[in-house]
Amino acid sequence: MSESAGHAEGSLAALYETVRLLTDPGQLSAGQAVLVAASALLVGAVLWSCCGRQNKVKLRAEFTPGKVYFHAAPPVKAIPCLTPFGMKLETYLRMADIPYEPMYGRSRGPKGKIPWIEYNGEAKGDSGLIIEFLNREKGVDLNQSLSEADKAVSRAFTKMVEENTYWGLVRNRWIDNFDQLQELFEVPWFVMFLLRSVRGKVKQTLWAHGIGRHDKDDLEGIIEKDLKAISRFLGAKPYLMGDEPTEVDAAVFGQLSEICWANSDTYLHRIVTVDCPNLQAYCNRIKDRYWLDWDQLTKKSKKDQ
Amino acid sequence: MSEFLGNAQGALAALYETLQASALLPVFTDPAQLSPGQAVLVAVSVLFVGTVLRNLWGGQRTNKVKLRAEFTPAINHPLIFFLGKVYYHAPPPVKAIPCLTPFGMKLETYLRMADIPYEPMYDWSIGPKGKIPWIEYNGEAMGDSGLIIEFLNREKGVDLNQSLSDADKAVSRAFTKMGEENTYWGGARYRWIDNFDTVHEVLEVSWIVKILGLLRPVRSTIRENMWAHGIGRHSRDEIEGIVEKDIKAVSTFLGAKPYLMGDEPTEADAAAFGQLSEVCFAFPGSYMERLVTVDCPNLQAYVNRMKNRYWPDWDELTSKTVPIS
Repeated sequence: MSESAGHAEGSLAALYETVRLLTDPGQLSAGQAVLVAASALLVGAVLWSCCGRQNKVKLRAEFTPGKVYFHAAPPVKAIPCLTPFGMKLETYLRMADIPYEPMYGRSRGPKGKIPWIEYNGEAKGDSGLIIEFLNREKGVDLNQSLSEADKAVSRAFTKMVEENTYWGLVRNRWIDNFDQLQELFEVPWFVMFLLRSVRGKVKQTLWAHGIGRHDKDDLEGIIEKDLKAISRFLGAKPYLMGDEPTEVDAAVFGQLSEICWANSDTYLHRIVTVDCPNLQAYCNRIKDRYWLDWDQLTKKSKKDQ
Repeated sequence: MSEFLGNAQGALAALYETLQASALLPVFTDPAQLSPGQAVLVAVSVLFVGTVLRNLWGGQRTNKVKLRAEFTPAINHPLIFFLGKVYYHAPPPVKAIPCLTPFGMKLETYLRMADIPYEPMYDWSIGPKGKIPWIEYNGEAMGDSGLIIEFLNREKGVDLNQSLSDADKAVSRAFTKMGEENTYWGGARYRWIDNFDTVHEVLEVSWIVKILGLLRPVRSTIRENMWAHGIGRHSRDEIEGIVEKDIKAVSTFLGAKPYLMGDEPTEADAAAFGQLSEVCFAFPGSYMERLVTVDCPNLQAYVNRMKNRYWPDWDELTSKTVPIS
């Protein structure tokens, strides 16, 4: 017992020595100070990656029960919402006639992403899960005219455009055409430094997803095939699944609207406007039907204030 | 030239001086002199610097693959036409399934559907994009099952989709992407995160690997990848709900048809079979297996149909397995 007590005392003494170094920075030499700073950063990074994942959202103090508070980035000159999932969700709300209050800001949702909504005092993230929730809550079914097989095809196209094509837009916007970002986001020049660090994170994300491992040509080939598939499936139909818009149109319009209006002078823009003119016509059709206030929203952006 | 050398020498001397003055040099040259506290700080900061460097450059480099010294090349000459040989790299078969990655099952099924002869190089080597499976062809390494299939279609003059209309080809692509970019992650989550204990049995790794926790880095990488992808931000129930809807969509679309797009198999069937075969045979007792075998019996029948047609040597392959040690 005394031996282990002696060991314990010895280890405590060593620990105290270490702690002493940390508590009296004045005694540190330059080299030691560098070492302390580096290890503090490392410990902080480890803690953050373990615990800092779930996003703590700040909710409204008062809310109207049953009202949808829609959180997204504010409109810019190019487009009412810079994230395709925001365009999708807001288009869905308009298609489903669900009244909502836009809460334009930079806050992130409970899953660390945007857009997100507040409903009955609860925060909800992920446009797909939000749509399923609101369908149940508000008794909405935009797909009711579709056969079961068509609903399946509808889901397949939604997933392709959101889990594959989307990353082509991300890569183009954040990596290949990063210089255009400042103008698109309408931010002052010094914010670009912050955006550069985001760019590094985006590269890592693309790599982790898998699609970032392709070189530029391979990736552009993949995305081109996606867009042409949508164009060929759409054909001469007014909407993806037929004569009337359904849920998948919100998703596809979400992605294509970004390409049409917020991604100029790119191969994506060329494919949607020149190579596949039915896609451009499709985007205009949905914009004219559900976004009558497009000009009003985009003119009110900071650029003109 | 001598001026340059003189300058270089001067710069090195200055660097040495700085290191000496900053008391950092003793840290590197005579570790025995360090106190325990200093040793801890040095170790931690080396780890930190190493992690930063790795994140900046190491994690995203294209993989240097080791190619065969000799290979059977493709010769395209007006008088001689020799089909190049496909060397197919994937993990070796296990008792449960010929290939543990759905993209391997997909690629190998495609090779069999297209009647492209290939030589299996069963190993755990990683391809040029840091993933498996991969192939060697004409002395070049190629990665990504989708790009490989497109390449071989062009090279070998294959078109498994020739009977499909343009609209059907589009639908075919959509289902392929849904299965590979969405449903796939449900399987990864189940195998590597929620049921990590059984992964050692499925992979047939020896107890040493399990005790030493050598697969834990793979698990962390998958968790990171899923977070980056986005799907990893959902709760377990939410992910299972998403995967269930995907699988039911495939079942609904298949209906009573023998193959996804009609009476004959097409490219999408290689992809769908790739994902569903894993679920049927290498995810025992999972909610995914229940979906494919119980809730959607037409999917089970479809998987068996593909297996019987293109994998008559399944039993032979899976009984010859050698545990990983």
